[in-house]
Amino acid sequence: MPVSRRTLAAAAVCVVLPLSGCGSGDGGGSTDASGKIEGDITFQTWNLRANFKDYFEGLIADFEKKYPGTDVKWVDQPAEGYADKISADAAGGTLPDVVNVSPDLVAPLAKAGLAMDLDKAASQYKKEYLPGAWASHQIPGMTGTYAFPWYLNTGPLFYNKTLFEEAGLDAEQPPKTYDEVFDAALKMAKETDGKVATLANVPTIEDFGRYGVPLMNKEGTAFTFNDAKGVELLARYKELYDAKALDPQALTATPESSGKKFLTGAVAMNPGSALDLGNFKKQAPNLYKNIGITDQITSTGHVNMYVMGVMVNAQTKRTPAAVAFAHYVTDAAHQMSFAKQVAIFPSTAGSLDDPYFTKEDGTDETRVRVAAAKSLKNAVNYTPVLFSEQMKTELRNEVAKALQGKESPKQALDNAVGACDKLLQQQG
Amino acid sequence: MALPTASRVRRQLPTSPWLFAAPGLLIIGAFILYPFVSTVVNAFTDRRTLIPGEFVGLDNFRELLNDDMFWIGLRNSTLYVLGVVPALVILPLLLALLVQKNIPGITFFRSAFYTPVVASIVVVGLIWVWLLDERGLVNSLLETIGVGRVGFLSDQWLLLLSAMAVTVWKGLGYYMIVYLAALANVPRELHEAAAVDGAGAVRRFLTVTVPAVRSTMVLVGALSSVAAFKVFSEVYLMAGPSGGPAGEDTTLVMLVQRTGTGLTGRVGYASAISVVVFVVTVALMLLVLRADRRDES
Amino acid sequence: MSVMEKVRPTVPAPAREPRVTDEHGRRIRVWELALRYLLLLGVLALTVGPFLWQLSTSLKGPTEDIFSSPPKLLPGDPTLHNYERVADTIPVWDYALNSLKVATANVVTNCVGAALAGYALARLRYRGRRAATLAFILAMLVPVEGIIIAQFTTMRELGLNNTLVGVVLPGSISALNVLLMRNAFLNLPYEIEEAAYVDGANVWQRFLRIALPSVKGTVAVVAIFAFMGAWDDFLWPLIVLSDPSRFTLTIGLNYLHGTFANDERLVAAGTIIAVAPLIALFACLQRYFFRGVGEGAVKG
Repeated sequence: MPVSRRTLAAAAVCVVLPLSGCGSGDGGGSTDASGKIEGDITFQTWNLRANFKDYFEGLIADFEKKYPGTDVKWVDQPAEGYADKISADAAGGTLPDVVNVSPDLVAPLAKAGLAMDLDKAASQYKKEYLPGAWASHQIPGMTGTYAFPWYLNTGPLFYNKTLFEEAGLDAEQPPKTYDEVFDAALKMAKETDGKVATLANVPTIEDFGRYGVPLMNKEGTAFTFNDAKGVELLARYKELYDAKALDPQALTATPESSGKKFLTGAVAMNPGSALDLGNFKKQAPNLYKNIGITDQITSTGHVNMYVMGVMVNAQTKRTPAAVAFAHYVTDAAHQMSFAKQVAIFPSTAGSLDDPYFTKEDGTDETRVRVAAAKSLKNAVNYTPVLFSEQMKTELRNEVAKALQGKESPKQALDNAVGACDKLLQQQG
Repeated sequence: MALPTASRVRRQLPTSPWLFAAPGLLIIGAFILYPFVSTVVNAFTDRRTLIPGEFVGLDNFRELLNDDMFWIGLRNSTLYVLGVVPALVILPLLLALLVQKNIPGITFFRSAFYTPVVASIVVVGLIWVWLLDERGLVNSLLETIGVGRVGFLSDQWLLLLSAMAVTVWKGLGYYMIVYLAALANVPRELHEAAAVDGAGAVRRFLTVTVPAVRSTMVLVGALSSVAAFKVFSEVYLMAGPSGGPAGEDTTLVMLVQRTGTGLTGRVGYASAISVVVFVVTVALMLLVLRADRRDES
Repeated sequence: MSVMEKVRPTVPAPAREPRVTDEHGRRIRVWELALRYLLLLGVLALTVGPFLWQLSTSLKGPTEDIFSSPPKLLPGDPTLHNYERVADTIPVWDYALNSLKVATANVVTNCVGAALAGYALARLRYRGRRAATLAFILAMLVPVEGIIIAQFTTMRELGLNNTLVGVVLPGSISALNVLLMRNAFLNLPYEIEEAAYVDGANVWQRFLRIALPSVKGTVAVVAIFAFMGAWDDFLWPLIVLSDPSRFTLTIGLNYLHGTFANDERLVAAGTIIAVAPLIALFACLQRYFFRGVGEGAVKG
């Protein structure tokens, strides 16, 4: 028996040992994109298949026709678990050649050497994009740009005119500054006995940015949102929370839940995008008639925008094809046609001057689109690229403690900055 | 895996016991135990998702001691055990007694009571989030009868309680079946003797039923406390990824998931928490089993 | 699942007790009976009610208010519209087929693997048996949320990422199922096998012809657990699979969240699609299942 046991143990070791090697190490990956555009590449998107299958299949077919000898395999992942999926692929060395990313996903990938520096591989395309959009995938402390900018999004602030009127507020003169929003919210809470809140979400990092709080130092080595201005914003929110002008459930709210609250008339204001208008129309036709649309509130003169990017895997074996495809997806013509499919905005230079984004036609959709396109020209992606999921949680939890009165706003922000700085250092 | 030849039927092939166990051992070895060993190794490094770590000794464990969130997680996971286990030891037993008698339609009831066990936890989570929503069925009913709406999903403690209720709700049917099996083996003479002695239903339950299913109660206690300490899905789905208001509903396994996953995950630190979870569950198991042995003697 | 079909002739169902008597054959008083049914109905409302409410929500049309107070328990104008929209958004049938493949494979591997290992742990004598048992117990205690990346790396090294085999493999023989089978075999009287042993049956024959048929019920339990586990899993298939044509239903249904986060009716329809096959499967297997439990499969 001992013999067989030893044999078995040896067999087990044979099976297990090869597994212990660590991922990556596939080699490949030059930044020289000048070769012949050919070969098989994989393109991964984020929750786009359900609604835009035809668009992407057409786009890929066109690319393959333009460059014979290429074969693009399209994979798409659902919204939930996207970061988990990418981390597993990145750690396991199975990252696709071309990947749809947001700036906060690019940063760690670039630091690990998995995102291709496009200033080296594709600098000739730089001028095709809005400078701000191109810069959104640059990482403090590193040289280079690590993804093509793709679509942008921003949106107005929606408000419920009926609720405004019931509270004695002027529904035609919506608040334009933070002070006005806060005053209106307090009045709304007072008039309705705390039944109707005006805001449904606790402040996030982008809210601090829009309020004019400096988020990071210039070198990108430390967070700074615990300054007087940051404390002031949080203190205002605390005041709202105590008065129930900030929804009591805001501490556990998600974008979906606050959207739902706005739909059901439990909350008077909600940030959104042109996309939401269609939603309102379908799901709450009564509300739709009474929806007011106003500009995003900002103290800096720049509204917030969200940026999506397309990065090239630094370890791809098909650099020319991968770079060419990433550029193809994000070039002006394709961004324009994608923007016409869904309410997003192109990041390519000049596209926003297209009549589609400048000419009103009297519908609400167009009005929102034109206003958003105009504001995008100097919009900022406030969320620092180095601000990780873990940091978001730290900030969210400290903000909650301040709102609950367990900590002073100053104390809470000091703690959040401390925790985020520590995480930043650990990211290396 | 050739079958032994006829001439050797009388003797076991020397390797055959291992052949029987081999597929199972190989699978759990390669996909559970081996990854867990690397988790234990990682617990002593500062490894991150994309950055191979260096050996840091006990630093992660030292950091745990000063991490408020770790203590919140430990508190919640412990509370979960204390809240859920007694309910799951007692309620399913009562339920088993209720469905034990062969009255008409009882098979239907037994099957129906088992439905929550069959449904996936994600589905169960979605269903209960919708039921307990501020505008969901439960609150509509409460408002209709004049109690007013309750913030099941926004208050720190109510959230934890709601999650516990869902765990119990989903586990009831499973443990009911376990008890049914045990009750089937209680000799009826015991009950009859007690009945002759004039013992009432409650007394019979305490003096006959409970002692007879004691070992099953211990098993249920062990299984449910290990599962309760490792709770993740229920709280994650109901309180959200950041763990309720100010993260106060975070459980230890949620903390493992939150700190260790994603591109910026701190694999080393999360591994240290995993190790703590593992050690505590082993201890819980031993504790229950030892309590059992002491009772017996 | 051929094992289960052979069940009927060998183990007759326990003779049915005369109606309206308890398990000891005594008559039950009317008021007690009424009380019992009242309690049963109460528990029924608690356990099945939430599913029915979800079903009702999924059948409500877009114009019906689903937030009303007092709540409307039944849809005013039942419609399958929401199910159509789910089917338009994701290829439900393709994904369900993948789920079915994965779940079926998982049932087969678990039934076979767990029965073999359980038998080895309970009935065979060899050095290292205790260590093997311990390995399965420890495996049951490992918090899986912490090892998923390591599992993925392993799978990639085996070249099985992005395959359905890779989805099945880690859970293909679960420790809990092995321990369930071990308990079932432990509870079999030794005499049964002894007779066969004397007759000259070898270990495989004893296992296949005597031990296994006596624990069919537990095999049914394992089958249901394995099917449920594979059908319900979300994170692991998501991590392993990249190719949308291989997605399982749970991943597919997740698209509903991202795409229609605000629409409870649609989410409800999605959950019903996910849960209905399981309930159907259980309804078909429940006879064997409850008998399996009677064998003491999950007993201490």
